[in-house]
Amino acid sequence: MKINRRKLLSLIGVSPAILAGSSAVGEPAPKKARMASGPVKIDALNPKGMPPSVQLIPMAPRLDTLDGKTIYLVSDGFAGADRFLNQIAIWFSKNMPSVKTVYRLKAGGLAGDDPALWAEIKKNGNAMIMAYGH
Amino acid sequence: MGFPTAPLVTIAFEGLAKSNAASRGMPLERICFLPHPMTNKTDEEMYQVLLGNDPVTNKPLMPEVIAALTQPLTADEKKTGSISPDVGPAMYSDTADNLQRYYADNNLTDFMPIILPTEERVQAMLKGTSHSPDEIVGKLSAAKGAFPEWSFNVRQVAINAVMAGAQPEFFPVILAIASTGQPSLFSSTSSFARMVVVNGPIRDKIKMNYGIGAMGPFNDANATIGRAWTLLSKNLGGCGMPGQTYMGSQGTNLNYNNICFGETEDKLPEGWKPVHVQHGFKPEESIVSIYSGWSLTNVCFFAQIPIHEVIKNWMTHYFSTGNGSVTLMLDPTVAADIARHGFGTKEDYVDYLEKNTKTPAWLYWEMVRNGKEQAAKGVEPFASYLKMGDDAEIPFNRFVARAPYGAPEGGHRSAVEIIVLGGETNTYWFGGDFGYMMSASIDKWT
Amino acid sequence: MGFPTAPLVTIAFKDLAKSNAAGHGMPDLRVCFLPHPMTNKTDAEMYQVLLGSDPVTNKPLMPEIISALTTPLTADEQKTGTVRPDVGPPMYSGTQDELQRLYCDNNYTDFMPIILPTEEKVEAMLKGTSHKPDEVVGTLSAARGAQASWSFTVRHVAINAVMAGASPDYLPTILAISSTGQPSLFSSTSSFTRMVMLNGPVSDQIKMNYGIGAMGPFAEPNAVIGRAWTILSKNLGGCGVPGLTYLGTLGSNFNYNNLCIAETENKLPDGWKPFHVQKGFKPEESVVSIFSGWSLNNVAWFPNMPYHELINNWLTHFFSFGTGAATLLLDPTVAREAKEKGFNSKEDLSDYWSKNSKTPAWLYWDTHKNELTQAKAGVEPYASYLKMGDADLPFQRFYRRGRFGGPPEPNPKSSIEIIVLGGETNTYWAGGDFSYVGSASVDKWR
Repeated sequence: MKINRRKLLSLIGVSPAILAGSSAVGEPAPKKARMASGPVKIDALNPKGMPPSVQLIPMAPRLDTLDGKTIYLVSDGFAGADRFLNQIAIWFSKNMPSVKTVYRLKAGGLAGDDPALWAEIKKNGNAMIMAYGH
Repeated sequence: MGFPTAPLVTIAFEGLAKSNAASRGMPLERICFLPHPMTNKTDEEMYQVLLGNDPVTNKPLMPEVIAALTQPLTADEKKTGSISPDVGPAMYSDTADNLQRYYADNNLTDFMPIILPTEERVQAMLKGTSHSPDEIVGKLSAAKGAFPEWSFNVRQVAINAVMAGAQPEFFPVILAIASTGQPSLFSSTSSFARMVVVNGPIRDKIKMNYGIGAMGPFNDANATIGRAWTLLSKNLGGCGMPGQTYMGSQGTNLNYNNICFGETEDKLPEGWKPVHVQHGFKPEESIVSIYSGWSLTNVCFFAQIPIHEVIKNWMTHYFSTGNGSVTLMLDPTVAADIARHGFGTKEDYVDYLEKNTKTPAWLYWEMVRNGKEQAAKGVEPFASYLKMGDDAEIPFNRFVARAPYGAPEGGHRSAVEIIVLGGETNTYWFGGDFGYMMSASIDKWT
Repeated sequence: MGFPTAPLVTIAFKDLAKSNAAGHGMPDLRVCFLPHPMTNKTDAEMYQVLLGSDPVTNKPLMPEIISALTTPLTADEQKTGTVRPDVGPPMYSGTQDELQRLYCDNNYTDFMPIILPTEEKVEAMLKGTSHKPDEVVGTLSAARGAQASWSFTVRHVAINAVMAGASPDYLPTILAISSTGQPSLFSSTSSFTRMVMLNGPVSDQIKMNYGIGAMGPFAEPNAVIGRAWTILSKNLGGCGVPGLTYLGTLGSNFNYNNLCIAETENKLPDGWKPFHVQKGFKPEESVVSIFSGWSLNNVAWFPNMPYHELINNWLTHFFSFGTGAATLLLDPTVAREAKEKGFNSKEDLSDYWSKNSKTPAWLYWDTHKNELTQAKAGVEPYASYLKMGDADLPFQRFYRRGRFGGPPEPNPKSSIEIIVLGGETNTYWAGGDFSYVGSASVDKWR
């Protein structure tokens, strides 16, 4: 059968260190590259796409005091958030007993919107504290 | 050998057989080929193969085998002397585009763009070490014993480091990895994966990522050092030629980066030592540690039971190629939780896992192939185990400290290796069938 | 919202919370921070947190929360109008080395060398499609709903394809992948992994490797197309910014290449259809299919039973993040054996596994708390399950779940996908918790 001698030779693994005579004669694989000398400047394009513009939303005016107000304590569903908000309710009952707290679990998971809840808070409450994921 | 031989090889290994013969000095060896696979053929089917043809030459097989032993040698077959491999010219001049094409077409890369290794860039890389360019670093081969070993020097590693896109300050880490003599691309049909873990002050010096996304493409030290290992395994060890020096049937995606990251040392629980200290190095030494395995499982699970029990359960049920070796990679929050449950050291936790993990019945009888036979004779513990039924968890721990294939003798090994890394965004962890191979000093190469 | 709010966020998500607020139009939102993690603190420890300080500002926490609701708004906080994000200049000028560094430092890459996208190269790349450069391809986001959605054009994809090292004939495939709207880098703390598979004539046209080393770095289209997906997810979707749009705590090593493969269609057993045909495409259509998961087990094992039973056992015991879906990648030799054992289609085999795999007791009870209560009350079948102790329960978990909250389906369909892939050097296979996300036409983008 015919053997491709050139292909065979390239299949043989031999230490390049043995091959290298003087470094000027044989440079073992991989080869070095010579390019145009001196640093040539090129122009390359920005790879970014198109992020959306953001409409600024003005924040709601603040309350002048929390005394006598109703604060909704809203959990975003992160494990343990309900217990933490309960501790906040306890803190208010000890330190600012005139503050009323109402606990709610936000619908829709961490990122979900809950318009029904916001409407309820707007109607029956004064402010919201939310905990504690992202 | 002194007597005529007729080797028979299945066709799946045609390229490998021919190149193997050539590298042993018998390029014209009279190899006859068989269909593949042969293993699962019945005796009858095997006889039929003999009555059929060599699938490469399409000539009748048995006459070919007989001719291999009897046909007189040709002039070519009688040749003696030595053959020096032609590795090509010293320098190649062309446009950048043509050079990228040339390197890829000649299988000198991982098929992604490289930084072309000009003399200037190689000189800059060499400044990353005090060692002389001609110093021999070590030897590499696709499988020691089965394939020839190539030796290589500092300069050759530098060329590959430039190609990978590494910075000169990463060079000592790459030299340390190369010095282990372990290739990232082992030849086996089972598609080995490697992991390289960095410990010591070097991590912060070269800004390795051991926080959020540590194992992912978010940092140039992690990305280019891991990649360099694959490039130098190909070019300085002859690895990674599919069908010849690489036979992994499906390959592994982990070979692109070889899971390169640093351990999170400052977030280790009190009493938990970093990997390199576990292996006898001083905390202030910079060390690479190499692991070998196949698979990684990513577990994000909020359980009723403590995490250290979840991990134990995962281990009990874990089945992969490396069936008795486990490496755990724990987010610092998980390590902290385990420590809080009373495991004051990594070793304490390994001890607990060794004592409390079991083996599913199906896997137990797979591993102990004559077990059922002994159970039938009433030999214990097999008889009792058999009574537990097919779906039981047998109280047998299969995780023992063992050296992965190709690892050097000696060194401290554990049934379960534990590495801590991650950004603490959640209590998650990875586990895989990796075993510890060896470590090497980075400081030696600065 | 119309009422004052005081969001509380743990410090692990500090940067994310601030950028999220800005992204929703409220850059000055008064966020207060808590230590991390909170989840495993006792009630008493949580109360102590309230008495302590905000770890970012070091100011007492409760007064800070109260102030968030009561201190009058500043002028800045009352601002309205539109903010256009700054993506930087359209062009960068520099030497090769300077630009490689700049693209890396600007987080435009996967931290490995790129082909710098000159106007000339982008024009050449655009010849790979008949679509106009300004055509909007789609939108990408690091997490729909939670992170901003970016849109991008054919030209944008071409720029990123050049960077990855693609040739123009890969462009339709890369466009198809980007058109799915699926990023390769999802933001989750769980470090998602993606897989992309090619089917149809395109695989041979661009010379994808689906033989030996299929999942590894041995062919240009496999290496480059997989990588292009990560690069374009970053630049065209804003993904992959650790701490902001990427929260994966350990990261996934598969993100370097995203398991970019092509099915080995020419070795499918008779009656086994290619994946895209299973999903409703014609054999001659070229299609990309996206999968999402976390872990992959690479199994090289010679069992004392047929392979379909071995894999059934693996499925029963497999525990990872995803516990209800799986994808099997079978070497053609394994597929062939299954066919010989009577599985005349992928669907037959998938159904067999779905119906016959079980669930380890610990995992069942940990995820079925309601059923545990019922078991203790004597309700069947849970009471019998409980009597089985540690054994594997005959509970089928690999099935496609119906509508969330809807009634359980009477004959649930299997959630196990089967892909045939490999070079037939051995009877190996890989399995992971991947589920099929969707497909897109490559032909559409030619």
